[in-house]
Amino acid sequence: MIMDFLQDAFFAAIAAIGFAAISNPPKRAYLYCALIAAIGHSSRFLMMHDSLLGLHIVIASGIASLIVGVLAVLISPLAHTPAETCLFPSLLPMIPGIYAYKTFGGLVMCLYHGAEGEFNHYFYLFVSNGLTCLFILLGMVIGATIPIFIFKNISFQATR
Amino acid sequence: MTSMKIDDAGPVAIAGCEAEGRHSLKDVCLFLSEYASWLLGSGATCIRLERNVNRMAAAWGCEAVMTILPRHIHMTVALPDRADSYTYIIATRSMAISFDINTRLSQLSWAIADGKVDFASAKERFSEAVGARGADKRLVLLLAACANAAFCRLFNGDWQAVAVVFLSTMAGYYLKQVMCEHKADMRVVFIVCAFVSSVLGATDALFHLGSTPEIAVGTSVLYLVPGIPYLNSFSDMIAGHYICSFSRFLHAVILTCCLSIGLCGGMLLMNMGMF
Repeated sequence: MIMDFLQDAFFAAIAAIGFAAISNPPKRAYLYCALIAAIGHSSRFLMMHDSLLGLHIVIASGIASLIVGVLAVLISPLAHTPAETCLFPSLLPMIPGIYAYKTFGGLVMCLYHGAEGEFNHYFYLFVSNGLTCLFILLGMVIGATIPIFIFKNISFQATR
Repeated sequence: MTSMKIDDAGPVAIAGCEAEGRHSLKDVCLFLSEYASWLLGSGATCIRLERNVNRMAAAWGCEAVMTILPRHIHMTVALPDRADSYTYIIATRSMAISFDINTRLSQLSWAIADGKVDFASAKERFSEAVGARGADKRLVLLLAACANAAFCRLFNGDWQAVAVVFLSTMAGYYLKQVMCEHKADMRVVFIVCAFVSSVLGATDALFHLGSTPEIAVGTSVLYLVPGIPYLNSFSDMIAGHYICSFSRFLHAVILTCCLSIGLCGGMLLMNMGMF
Protein backbone atom coordinates (compact mmCIF):
# COMPACT_ATOMS: atom_id res chain seq x y z
CA MET A 1 0.00 0.00 0.00
CA ILE A 2 2.85 2.39 0.78
CA MET A 3 4.27 1.86 -2.71
CA ASP A 4 0.85 2.52 -4.24
CA PHE A 5 0.53 5.65 -2.14
CA LEU A 6 3.96 6.93 -3.20
CA GLN A 7 3.28 6.04 -6.82
CA ASP A 8 -0.01 7.93 -6.68
CA ALA A 9 1.69 11.01 -5.27
CA PHE A 10 4.52 10.81 -7.81
CA PHE A 11 2.32 10.52 -10.88
CA ALA A 12 -0.02 13.22 -9.62
CA ALA A 13 3.00 15.52 -9.29
CA ILE A 14 4.13 14.72 -12.85
CA ALA A 15 0.60 15.33 -14.16
CA ALA A 16 0.38 18.65 -12.31
CA ILE A 17 3.69 19.85 -13.74
CA GLY A 18 2.54 19.00 -17.26
CA PHE A 19 -0.86 20.61 -16.91
CA ALA A 20 0.78 23.64 -15.32
CA ALA A 21 3.08 23.92 -18.34
CA ILE A 22 0.05 24.13 -20.64
CA SER A 23 -1.23 27.17 -18.73
CA ASN A 24 2.19 28.89 -18.80
CA PRO A 25 2.80 29.74 -15.12
CA PRO A 26 5.93 31.46 -13.72
CA LYS A 27 8.78 28.93 -13.44
CA ARG A 28 8.83 29.09 -9.64
CA ALA A 29 5.24 27.81 -9.52
CA TYR A 30 5.99 24.37 -11.01
CA LEU A 31 7.45 22.96 -7.81
CA TYR A 32 4.55 24.20 -5.69
CA CYS A 33 2.02 22.78 -8.17
CA ALA A 34 3.71 19.39 -8.01
CA LEU A 35 3.82 19.43 -4.22
CA ILE A 36 0.19 20.45 -3.78
CA ALA A 37 -1.04 17.95 -6.39
CA ALA A 38 0.94 15.12 -4.77
CA ILE A 39 -0.50 15.88 -1.34
CA GLY A 40 -4.03 16.34 -2.68
CA HIS A 41 -4.17 13.27 -4.89
CA SER A 42 -2.46 10.95 -2.41
CA SER A 43 -4.78 12.15 0.36
CA ARG A 44 -7.71 11.17 -1.85
CA PHE A 45 -6.05 7.81 -2.41
CA LEU A 46 -5.78 7.26 1.34
CA MET A 47 -9.36 8.39 1.99
CA MET A 48 -10.69 5.97 -0.63
CA HIS A 49 -8.57 3.01 0.41
CA ASP A 50 -10.68 0.18 1.84
CA SER A 51 -8.30 -0.55 4.71
CA LEU A 52 -8.43 3.08 5.85
CA LEU A 53 -11.49 5.32 5.52
CA GLY A 54 -13.02 3.69 2.44
CA LEU A 55 -14.81 6.89 1.44
CA HIS A 56 -16.78 7.21 -1.80
CA ILE A 57 -14.86 8.91 -4.61
CA VAL A 58 -17.23 11.92 -4.62
CA ILE A 59 -16.72 12.70 -0.93
CA ALA A 60 -13.01 11.91 -1.05
CA SER A 61 -12.55 14.18 -4.09
CA GLY A 62 -14.41 17.01 -2.34
CA ILE A 63 -12.27 16.77 0.80
CA ALA A 64 -9.04 16.36 -1.19
CA SER A 65 -9.93 19.42 -3.29
CA LEU A 66 -10.51 21.41 -0.12
CA ILE A 67 -7.03 20.38 1.04
CA VAL A 68 -5.62 21.42 -2.35
CA GLY A 69 -7.48 24.75 -2.17
CA VAL A 70 -6.25 25.58 1.34
CA LEU A 71 -2.67 24.60 0.47
CA ALA A 72 -2.75 26.67 -2.73
CA VAL A 73 -3.96 29.74 -0.84
CA LEU A 74 -1.39 29.33 1.93
CA ILE A 75 1.49 28.65 -0.46
CA SER A 76 0.66 31.38 -3.00
CA PRO A 77 2.31 34.18 -0.93
CA LEU A 78 5.51 32.10 -0.87
CA ALA A 79 5.38 31.64 -4.63
CA HIS A 80 4.32 35.30 -5.18
CA THR A 81 1.63 34.15 -7.60
CA PRO A 82 -2.17 34.38 -7.57
CA ALA A 83 -3.66 31.42 -5.70
CA GLU A 84 -5.24 30.11 -8.93
CA THR A 85 -1.78 29.64 -10.48
CA CYS A 86 -0.96 26.89 -7.99
CA LEU A 87 -4.54 25.73 -7.47
CA PHE A 88 -5.83 24.93 -10.94
CA PRO A 89 -2.96 22.77 -12.27
CA SER A 90 -2.83 20.94 -8.91
CA LEU A 91 -6.49 20.11 -9.17
CA LEU A 92 -6.48 18.82 -12.75
CA PRO A 93 -4.99 15.36 -11.96
CA MET A 94 -8.17 14.68 -9.97
CA ILE A 95 -10.47 15.27 -12.96
CA PRO A 96 -12.55 12.10 -13.44
CA GLY A 97 -11.46 11.49 -17.03
CA ILE A 98 -12.37 7.82 -17.22
CA TYR A 99 -15.86 8.46 -15.82
CA ALA A 100 -16.31 11.19 -18.44
CA TYR A 101 -15.10 8.82 -21.15
CA LYS A 102 -17.50 6.07 -20.03
CA THR A 103 -20.36 8.57 -19.86
CA PHE A 104 -19.70 9.60 -23.42
CA GLY A 105 -19.29 5.96 -24.46
CA GLY A 106 -22.61 5.02 -22.87
CA LEU A 107 -24.36 7.82 -24.74
CA VAL A 108 -22.91 6.78 -28.10
CA MET A 109 -23.76 3.11 -27.50
CA CYS A 110 -27.36 4.12 -26.63
CA LEU A 111 -27.64 5.59 -30.11
CA TYR A 112 -26.26 2.45 -31.72
CA HIS A 113 -28.48 -0.04 -29.87
CA GLY A 114 -32.21 0.34 -30.38
CA ALA A 115 -33.32 -2.89 -28.68
CA GLU A 116 -34.79 -2.15 -25.27
CA GLY A 117 -32.55 -4.44 -23.21
CA GLU A 118 -29.29 -3.23 -24.69
CA PHE A 119 -30.45 0.37 -24.72
CA ASN A 120 -31.37 0.19 -21.03
CA HIS A 121 -27.97 -1.30 -20.20
CA TYR A 122 -26.04 1.43 -22.00
CA PHE A 123 -28.37 4.11 -20.68
CA TYR A 124 -27.66 2.84 -17.18
CA LEU A 125 -23.92 3.09 -17.87
CA PHE A 126 -24.39 6.60 -19.27
CA VAL A 127 -26.38 7.83 -16.26
CA SER A 128 -24.37 6.11 -13.52
CA ASN A 129 -21.01 7.24 -14.89
CA GLY A 130 -22.37 10.67 -15.76
CA LEU A 131 -23.75 11.28 -12.28
CA THR A 132 -20.53 10.11 -10.64
CA CYS A 133 -18.51 12.34 -12.97
CA LEU A 134 -20.78 15.33 -12.37
CA PHE A 135 -20.73 15.05 -8.59
CA ILE A 136 -16.96 14.51 -8.49
CA LEU A 137 -16.53 17.69 -10.54
CA LEU A 138 -18.97 19.59 -8.32
CA GLY A 139 -17.19 18.42 -5.17
CA MET A 140 -13.87 19.41 -6.69
CA VAL A 141 -14.78 22.92 -7.79
CA ILE A 142 -16.66 23.70 -4.58
CA GLY A 143 -13.91 22.29 -2.37
CA ALA A 144 -11.11 24.02 -4.26
CA THR A 145 -12.69 27.42 -4.84
CA ILE A 146 -14.13 28.09 -1.41
CA PRO A 147 -10.74 28.58 0.34
CA ILE A 148 -9.95 31.43 -2.10
CA PHE A 149 -13.08 33.25 -0.98
CA ILE A 150 -12.71 32.37 2.72
CA PHE A 151 -9.08 33.53 2.85
CA LYS A 152 -9.56 36.55 0.57
CA ASN A 153 -6.92 38.61 2.35
CA ILE A 154 -4.26 35.99 1.70
CA SER A 155 -5.29 34.89 -1.78
CA PHE A 156 -5.64 38.37 -3.26
CA GLN A 157 -2.51 39.79 -1.60
CA ALA A 158 -0.18 36.97 -2.57
CA THR A 159 1.42 39.00 -5.37
CA ARG A 160 2.02 42.07 -3.20
CA MET B 1 -13.77 73.71 -8.61
CA THR B 2 -12.93 70.50 -10.38
CA SER B 3 -9.19 71.08 -10.27
CA MET B 4 -9.34 71.61 -6.50
CA LYS B 5 -11.05 68.28 -6.13
CA ILE B 6 -8.44 66.66 -8.30
CA ASP B 7 -5.63 68.07 -6.22
CA ASP B 8 -7.36 66.78 -3.10
CA ALA B 9 -7.99 63.38 -4.58
CA GLY B 10 -4.55 62.56 -5.95
CA PRO B 11 -2.47 62.66 -9.06
CA VAL B 12 -5.24 62.54 -11.69
CA ALA B 13 -5.44 65.65 -13.87
CA ILE B 14 -8.49 67.09 -15.60
CA ALA B 15 -9.79 64.87 -18.39
CA GLY B 16 -8.04 65.67 -21.61
CA CYS B 17 -5.23 67.59 -19.91
CA GLU B 18 -1.63 66.51 -19.71
CA ALA B 19 -0.45 68.49 -16.73
CA GLU B 20 3.18 68.25 -15.71
CA GLY B 21 3.84 65.01 -13.83
CA ARG B 22 0.22 64.04 -14.09
CA HIS B 23 -1.95 61.89 -16.28
CA SER B 24 -5.41 62.50 -17.57
CA LEU B 25 -8.54 60.60 -16.67
CA LYS B 26 -8.59 59.42 -20.26
CA ASP B 27 -5.07 57.98 -19.92
CA VAL B 28 -6.04 56.15 -16.76
CA CYS B 29 -9.18 54.74 -18.35
CA LEU B 30 -7.33 53.56 -21.46
CA PHE B 31 -4.59 52.00 -19.38
CA LEU B 32 -7.05 50.22 -17.10
CA SER B 33 -9.09 49.01 -20.08
CA GLU B 34 -6.04 47.56 -21.76
CA TYR B 35 -4.94 46.02 -18.47
CA ALA B 36 -8.38 44.47 -17.92
CA SER B 37 -8.49 43.10 -21.44
CA TRP B 38 -5.14 41.35 -21.03
CA LEU B 39 -5.84 40.10 -17.51
CA LEU B 40 -9.18 38.57 -18.46
CA GLY B 41 -7.68 37.11 -21.63
CA SER B 42 -4.87 35.50 -19.66
CA GLY B 43 -7.42 33.48 -17.70
CA ALA B 44 -8.00 35.53 -14.54
CA THR B 45 -11.29 35.32 -12.67
CA CYS B 46 -13.67 38.28 -12.63
CA ILE B 47 -13.19 38.93 -8.93
CA ARG B 48 -9.42 39.20 -9.40
CA LEU B 49 -9.94 41.56 -12.33
CA GLU B 50 -12.23 43.81 -10.31
CA ARG B 51 -9.92 43.91 -7.31
CA ASN B 52 -6.79 44.63 -9.35
CA VAL B 53 -8.43 47.39 -11.38
CA ASN B 54 -10.09 49.03 -8.37
CA ARG B 55 -6.79 48.91 -6.48
CA MET B 56 -4.97 50.78 -9.25
CA ALA B 57 -7.79 53.27 -9.78
CA ALA B 58 -7.85 54.07 -6.06
CA ALA B 59 -4.07 54.62 -6.10
CA TRP B 60 -4.53 57.18 -8.87
CA GLY B 61 -7.31 58.94 -6.99
CA CYS B 62 -10.27 57.88 -9.07
CA GLU B 63 -12.98 55.23 -9.18
CA ALA B 64 -13.35 52.52 -11.78
CA VAL B 65 -16.53 50.63 -12.57
CA MET B 66 -16.64 47.77 -15.07
CA THR B 67 -19.21 45.75 -16.88
CA ILE B 68 -17.51 42.48 -17.76
CA LEU B 69 -19.15 40.91 -20.78
CA PRO B 70 -18.09 37.69 -22.48
CA ARG B 71 -16.18 39.42 -25.28
CA HIS B 72 -15.93 43.03 -24.11
CA ILE B 73 -15.18 45.10 -21.05
CA HIS B 74 -17.02 48.34 -20.52
CA MET B 75 -14.84 50.55 -18.32
CA THR B 76 -15.80 53.85 -16.74
CA VAL B 77 -13.30 55.83 -14.70
CA ALA B 78 -14.60 58.79 -12.69
CA LEU B 79 -13.31 61.30 -10.21
CA PRO B 80 -14.42 60.61 -6.63
CA ASP B 81 -16.93 63.50 -6.72
CA ARG B 82 -18.20 62.36 -10.18
CA ALA B 83 -17.23 65.79 -11.55
CA ASP B 84 -15.72 64.11 -14.58
CA SER B 85 -15.62 60.65 -16.04
CA TYR B 86 -14.33 58.77 -19.07
CA THR B 87 -15.76 55.59 -20.59
CA TYR B 88 -14.14 53.12 -22.95
CA ILE B 89 -15.25 49.76 -24.32
CA ILE B 90 -12.53 47.29 -25.16
CA ALA B 91 -12.63 43.82 -26.68
CA THR B 92 -11.30 41.06 -24.45
CA ARG B 93 -8.04 39.63 -25.76
CA SER B 94 -8.38 36.23 -27.29
CA MET B 95 -5.26 34.34 -26.22
CA ALA B 96 -4.02 31.17 -24.58
CA ILE B 97 -4.24 31.01 -20.81
CA SER B 98 -1.10 32.41 -19.24
CA PHE B 99 -0.69 32.42 -15.48
CA ASP B 100 2.65 34.12 -16.00
CA ILE B 101 0.99 37.21 -17.47
CA ASN B 102 -1.73 36.96 -14.81
CA THR B 103 0.94 36.94 -12.08
CA ARG B 104 2.94 39.81 -13.58
CA LEU B 105 -0.16 41.97 -13.99
CA SER B 106 -1.30 41.24 -10.44
CA GLN B 107 2.15 42.20 -9.15
CA LEU B 108 1.96 45.40 -11.19
CA SER B 109 -1.36 46.32 -9.61
CA TRP B 110 0.15 46.03 -6.13
CA ALA B 111 3.24 47.97 -7.15
CA ILE B 112 0.96 50.80 -8.30
CA ALA B 113 -1.23 50.56 -5.20
CA ASP B 114 1.82 50.72 -2.93
CA GLY B 115 3.15 53.77 -4.79
CA LYS B 116 6.27 51.96 -6.02
CA VAL B 117 5.76 52.91 -9.67
CA ASP B 118 4.41 56.06 -11.28
CA PHE B 119 2.07 56.13 -14.25
CA ALA B 120 4.79 56.22 -16.91
CA SER B 121 6.71 53.35 -15.29
CA ALA B 122 3.47 51.41 -14.93
CA LYS B 123 2.92 51.62 -18.66
CA GLU B 124 6.44 50.35 -19.29
CA ARG B 125 6.04 47.49 -16.84
CA PHE B 126 2.69 46.63 -18.40
CA SER B 127 4.30 46.38 -21.84
CA GLU B 128 7.04 44.16 -20.39
CA ALA B 129 4.48 41.93 -18.66
CA VAL B 130 2.33 41.32 -21.71
CA GLY B 131 5.37 40.93 -23.93
CA ALA B 132 6.93 38.25 -21.72
CA ARG B 133 7.89 35.15 -23.68
CA GLY B 134 6.15 31.95 -22.79
CA ALA B 135 7.88 28.68 -21.98
CA ASP B 136 9.72 26.82 -24.73
CA LYS B 137 7.15 25.04 -26.89
CA ARG B 138 9.14 21.82 -27.13
CA LEU B 139 9.43 21.69 -23.36
CA VAL B 140 5.68 22.29 -22.96
CA LEU B 141 5.03 19.53 -25.50
CA LEU B 142 7.20 17.09 -23.57
CA LEU B 143 5.68 18.02 -20.20
CA ALA B 144 2.12 17.77 -21.55
CA ALA B 145 2.86 14.29 -22.92
CA CYS B 146 4.41 13.24 -19.60
CA ALA B 147 1.38 14.65 -17.74
CA ASN B 148 -1.11 12.71 -19.82
CA ALA B 149 0.97 9.53 -19.54
CA ALA B 150 1.07 10.01 -15.75
CA PHE B 151 -2.68 10.58 -15.85
CA CYS B 152 -3.04 7.21 -17.60
CA ARG B 153 -1.04 5.56 -14.82
CA LEU B 154 -3.23 7.24 -12.18
CA PHE B 155 -6.24 5.54 -13.82
CA ASN B 156 -4.45 2.18 -13.42
CA GLY B 157 -3.36 1.92 -17.04
CA ASP B 158 -0.51 -0.56 -17.64
CA TRP B 159 2.91 0.56 -18.90
CA GLN B 160 2.05 -0.24 -22.52
CA ALA B 161 -0.96 2.08 -22.22
CA VAL B 162 1.24 4.74 -20.62
CA ALA B 163 3.65 4.57 -23.58
CA VAL B 164 0.80 4.74 -26.12
CA VAL B 165 -0.76 7.71 -24.33
CA PHE B 166 2.59 9.48 -24.22
CA LEU B 167 3.04 9.15 -27.98
CA SER B 168 -0.58 9.97 -28.87
CA THR B 169 -0.43 13.08 -26.67
CA MET B 170 2.86 14.13 -28.26
CA ALA B 171 1.31 13.90 -31.72
CA GLY B 172 -1.99 15.54 -30.74
CA TYR B 173 -0.47 18.37 -28.73
CA TYR B 174 2.11 19.09 -31.44
CA LEU B 175 -0.73 19.35 -33.92
CA LYS B 176 -2.53 21.70 -31.55
CA GLN B 177 0.53 23.95 -31.32
CA VAL B 178 0.90 24.04 -35.10
CA MET B 179 -2.79 24.74 -35.72
CA CYS B 180 -2.87 27.45 -33.05
CA GLU B 181 0.17 29.08 -34.70
CA HIS B 182 -1.84 29.19 -37.92
CA LYS B 183 -4.75 30.78 -36.01
CA ALA B 184 -7.10 27.90 -36.71
CA ASP B 185 -10.53 27.98 -35.08
CA MET B 186 -10.24 26.47 -31.60
CA ARG B 187 -13.24 24.20 -32.14
CA VAL B 188 -11.66 22.72 -35.25
CA VAL B 189 -8.37 22.33 -33.37
CA PHE B 190 -10.11 20.34 -30.64
CA ILE B 191 -11.91 18.06 -33.10
CA VAL B 192 -8.78 17.34 -35.15
CA CYS B 193 -6.46 16.85 -32.16
CA ALA B 194 -8.94 14.59 -30.34
CA PHE B 195 -9.36 12.58 -33.53
CA VAL B 196 -5.61 12.12 -34.04
CA SER B 197 -4.91 11.33 -30.39
CA SER B 198 -7.75 8.82 -30.13
CA VAL B 199 -6.72 7.05 -33.36
CA LEU B 200 -3.17 6.73 -32.01
CA GLY B 201 -4.49 5.83 -28.55
CA ALA B 202 -6.50 3.00 -30.11
CA THR B 203 -3.31 1.30 -31.35
CA ASP B 204 -3.00 -0.27 -27.91
CA ALA B 205 -6.15 -2.28 -28.69
CA LEU B 206 -5.35 -2.70 -32.39
CA PHE B 207 -1.99 -4.39 -31.82
CA HIS B 208 -2.98 -6.02 -28.50
CA LEU B 209 -0.12 -4.30 -26.75
CA GLY B 210 -1.44 -4.32 -23.21
CA SER B 211 -4.37 -5.27 -21.02
CA THR B 212 -5.90 -1.79 -20.52
CA PRO B 213 -6.61 -0.48 -24.04
CA GLU B 214 -9.79 1.35 -22.99
CA ILE B 215 -7.80 3.41 -20.48
CA ALA B 216 -5.27 4.26 -23.21
CA VAL B 217 -7.99 5.57 -25.53
CA GLY B 218 -9.92 7.34 -22.78
CA THR B 219 -6.81 9.08 -21.43
CA SER B 220 -5.26 9.95 -24.79
CA VAL B 221 -7.54 12.99 -25.23
CA LEU B 222 -7.65 14.25 -21.65
CA TYR B 223 -4.97 16.90 -22.23
CA LEU B 224 -7.68 18.72 -24.21
CA VAL B 225 -10.21 18.90 -21.34
CA PRO B 226 -10.77 22.64 -20.71
CA GLY B 227 -10.39 22.36 -16.95
CA ILE B 228 -9.42 25.96 -16.24
CA PRO B 229 -12.46 27.52 -18.01
CA TYR B 230 -14.69 25.21 -15.97
CA LEU B 231 -12.99 26.22 -12.72
CA ASN B 232 -13.06 29.92 -13.63
CA SER B 233 -16.73 29.58 -14.49
CA PHE B 234 -17.53 28.28 -11.03
CA SER B 235 -15.38 30.93 -9.38
CA ASP B 236 -17.23 33.67 -11.31
CA MET B 237 -20.54 32.15 -10.26
CA ILE B 238 -19.61 32.32 -6.57
CA ALA B 239 -18.55 35.95 -7.06
CA GLY B 240 -21.93 36.75 -8.66
CA HIS B 241 -20.64 37.33 -12.20
CA TYR B 242 -23.34 35.16 -13.72
CA ILE B 243 -23.07 36.34 -17.33
CA CYS B 244 -19.33 35.76 -17.45
CA SER B 245 -19.73 32.51 -15.55
CA PHE B 246 -22.34 31.22 -17.98
CA SER B 247 -20.29 32.36 -20.95
CA ARG B 248 -17.15 30.58 -19.75
CA PHE B 249 -19.17 27.48 -18.92
CA LEU B 250 -20.74 27.41 -22.37
CA HIS B 251 -17.36 27.92 -24.01
CA ALA B 252 -15.94 24.98 -22.04
CA VAL B 253 -18.97 22.82 -22.90
CA ILE B 254 -18.57 23.57 -26.61
CA LEU B 255 -14.88 22.62 -26.49
CA THR B 256 -15.78 19.44 -24.61
CA CYS B 257 -18.35 18.60 -27.30
CA CYS B 258 -15.70 19.16 -30.00
CA LEU B 259 -13.34 16.89 -28.09
CA SER B 260 -16.09 14.25 -27.93
CA ILE B 261 -16.77 14.52 -31.67
CA GLY B 262 -13.08 13.98 -32.45
CA LEU B 263 -12.89 11.07 -30.02
CA CYS B 264 -16.03 9.49 -31.47
CA GLY B 265 -14.68 9.86 -35.02
CA GLY B 266 -11.37 8.29 -34.04
CA MET B 267 -13.03 5.34 -32.37
CA LEU B 268 -15.38 4.78 -35.30
CA LEU B 269 -12.44 4.82 -37.69
CA MET B 270 -10.57 2.30 -35.57
CA ASN B 271 -13.76 0.26 -35.16
CA MET B 272 -13.24 0.25 -31.42
CA GLY B 273 -16.11 -0.61 -29.07
CA MET B 274 -16.74 1.64 -26.12
CA PHE B 275 -17.17 -1.11 -23.55
